[in-house]
Amino acid sequence: MPSIPRIPAIFATLVLASVPLALDATSAPPPSAHRTLEDYRHFRIAAIDLLGRAPTRDEIGAFERSDFDMDRWVESQLGGPGYVERLTRIYMDVLRLEPNLLFVNPSWQLYRHDVLGPDGKPVMVYYRESQRRRPPEIDGEFCFSPDETGVVIRPRQPDMGTPKNVTQKLLDERTVLVRPWWLYRDYKAPSPSQRYGDAWKDPDPQYKPVETLREDADHQPVVAIRICREESSALQIGHVYASGRTKPPPKDEKPPGGRFRPPPLDRPYATQHRGQDVECDTRSGLDFATDCGCGVGLERCVPGDANNAGNAFYYPNHMPLGPGLPLDDARQSSQRWFPYWWSREAVRMLDDLFASDRDFREVLTGKRTFVNGPLAQFYRSIQQSSCCGPEAAFGMLEETEPLFVPTRVPEDLQPQDVSTWKEVDDRGPHAAGILTTPMFLEKYASARARGAAVYNDFLCKSFLSDVQSLEPSKEPNLMIRPGCKNCHATLEPLAAYFARVEPSSFVFLPQAQFPIHSNTCKLDKNGKLNGNCNALYDAAFADDKGATLRSAYGSPEHADQTPAGAARDITALPEFATCAVQRVTSSFLGRPTTADDEPLLASLNQVFVRSGYRMKALVRAIVKSDEYRRSNNLSSTTWRSGR
Amino acid sequence: MSMPFRRAWALVALALASPACAASPPEHVYPGPLVQLVDRGVIAEDTAPKEDLRMIPPEVYMRTYLQLFGGLAPLDAQKRARGGDGGALFDTWDDYVSALGFPDYRLDVPRQTQTNALMAATFERLGVALCDRAIEHDLRAPKGGEAPAPKDRLIFAFDLPAGDLDARAFAPRFDVLHRTFLGYPASLAPPQRTARFFQLYLDIVADHAKADPKSRLSPREAGWAAVCYGLVRHPEFHLY
Repeated sequence: MPSIPRIPAIFATLVLASVPLALDATSAPPPSAHRTLEDYRHFRIAAIDLLGRAPTRDEIGAFERSDFDMDRWVESQLGGPGYVERLTRIYMDVLRLEPNLLFVNPSWQLYRHDVLGPDGKPVMVYYRESQRRRPPEIDGEFCFSPDETGVVIRPRQPDMGTPKNVTQKLLDERTVLVRPWWLYRDYKAPSPSQRYGDAWKDPDPQYKPVETLREDADHQPVVAIRICREESSALQIGHVYASGRTKPPPKDEKPPGGRFRPPPLDRPYATQHRGQDVECDTRSGLDFATDCGCGVGLERCVPGDANNAGNAFYYPNHMPLGPGLPLDDARQSSQRWFPYWWSREAVRMLDDLFASDRDFREVLTGKRTFVNGPLAQFYRSIQQSSCCGPEAAFGMLEETEPLFVPTRVPEDLQPQDVSTWKEVDDRGPHAAGILTTPMFLEKYASARARGAAVYNDFLCKSFLSDVQSLEPSKEPNLMIRPGCKNCHATLEPLAAYFARVEPSSFVFLPQAQFPIHSNTCKLDKNGKLNGNCNALYDAAFADDKGATLRSAYGSPEHADQTPAGAARDITALPEFATCAVQRVTSSFLGRPTTADDEPLLASLNQVFVRSGYRMKALVRAIVKSDEYRRSNNLSSTTWRSGR
Repeated sequence: MSMPFRRAWALVALALASPACAASPPEHVYPGPLVQLVDRGVIAEDTAPKEDLRMIPPEVYMRTYLQLFGGLAPLDAQKRARGGDGGALFDTWDDYVSALGFPDYRLDVPRQTQTNALMAATFERLGVALCDRAIEHDLRAPKGGEAPAPKDRLIFAFDLPAGDLDARAFAPRFDVLHRTFLGYPASLAPPQRTARFFQLYLDIVADHAKADPKSRLSPREAGWAAVCYGLVRHPEFHLY
């Protein structure tokens, strides 16, 4: 900084109006005499909080006019995009509902591998991992055997062998050409013709399949993709297939077709239910049927452009100002596609809650949500593919009580409609605000994590024990185990609400098939539960007569009340309102609230509850409060002087 | 040596030699009269809520920045800030997003609420890019055209008189910038602020007039750019 010169003291008293200048119309008029620095600061912090940015010169000019009504201005901003973003930010900072996970399932993930065609040129072939096929040399594997291609081809594995040409006859026998959903808007038509970037004139600007899905190795447009015949099946109902292989082959027997491992054996279910119907959009469809594939236009599957994770679509890594203002546009793995949209769904739910000024308790209790094309695709078919593995042993071959009932998905949404969002008024009887969204359930993967998140985020309480000793103990009940009980006496009953939603998943375990206390799952003479029971029931709470559903022991009653019961019980607590008031007030004041703020918080709590838990009423009261007006501008000196 | 003295030495020696006597006898503290402590000074307890100015959230910073850039989308602002002149004024938003203090919910990284060296450097870099591109947009005439009218200028929304600028002509123009960045008239700012900025303007203009090699900004442009830098980096711009 240069030294301060002796310049005439004109600046201290300079009034703009006294200087004839060619300032344009956007320049603000002279400040009104009654606008103090404190007034300007109040207007600026209110703009920052409610508009989401500093005020412009024009807005400052309007503020300076004598007819400016601050109350009316505040009212006009409540419900606006800046206000909505501001409140959503408070809860996203707490919930952090963005994915750092890959969601992949062999039922819907398509891999791609080249085989050498009759002319020696590579031909791209799409396939699913673990696809059941009738020929034993390719059952559960790629649809060409190593003897036919010269190469052992497995997903995510390096090739083994030297490629050789495949005859046209074999190529036609094993694969078919399909016009898939990611390339054709009208993929459901008998002969799709509206190809992306061609006859499909107005694709959603945010729907961008990567070039490697749209072009072949010579950069020519892909008109149709080649896919293994079984995967191309459009059947909705398949049939349980049993190969007759029930025992492992002798160790010295070479697997057929040059495959590196023997073909899969029939599971007991397949043997017992051979030929029976099976839903193709379930995990069971993949596991048990050879005639279940990816559906019409492959809409039950998502492509990858490689034999590993592969890229599928462009979408941003960073968009802190929302999807309309991305900071980048990156090629992304297909395994991140659905988690990306789960996060957008959660933000959308919060945005709607604040924009429509709904009862804030709906954040936990609400049944509504919003879905776009990818989420419609997910809820319609992909979510079912997470079930059923071990659940099948309990008689659940497909989800019978999904958290989002697939028939509630709007029918007119196609997977490419990424910018079109439609409201779903009621997701189903088990829906409970954000608690039953895939994003929450995957972010907080265990029942305890879910219970703790609710406790922290919506009751403003934390699990910090004042006892710091853990004594050796074999007591499995953490509610009574010394050292653990201080926190777990509260946490376990909270976690129990989530016992019916599988960990790291969103599969709902209905009471009919999965009683809290199972008499069929019990400890064997070695003190162990069998494999299927062990996945869902807790050996620590089992004996030779039965076992308890995992995470339910803390409160079987809560477990049967499900997350919807958690939502009902949590929102009924007085701490729910006080926590919301404390979070929003603290955020707007820009500091943690203290005991000195108790009178303010008490009055705000009254406003919030009386308004029916409406955030607009709360924010209106905060912004008009003296505490807010003084916030960020309060020093000991000003406080003492009473200014 | 007298007898009592010799006996005392013997007792000491015995005490040191005997393990049984190694431990001190229990200490007894008898209650005694309370001694009134004397006041040595009075320090009033300050119970005022201690509130510090806080940083504007990074979302607000970025939205304000984009609005100052003419209401552009981030990628468009990035394109314009990078320019095609090899000025290397701006990298990419992806390079800045964590430095600006944005949270990363995917990794559970919370938002930054305090500055750090990298953040300050990022503010600096973004501010310089904004001011320099605004100079080019607002004050320069494109080939075969004229500079935008003052009402169409993003930052420097005033005309520039021909010739040197004196303090009286500087002040209202500075006020436009002061309102743009800090949200209130310069007349309400601490005394001497306008004077300090005018001196900065004069110094930069003088330095650039002597600069060799020449800067890509004219002396007058460099003077206004420096004023802009000072305001876009001003604590009052970043705090609220």
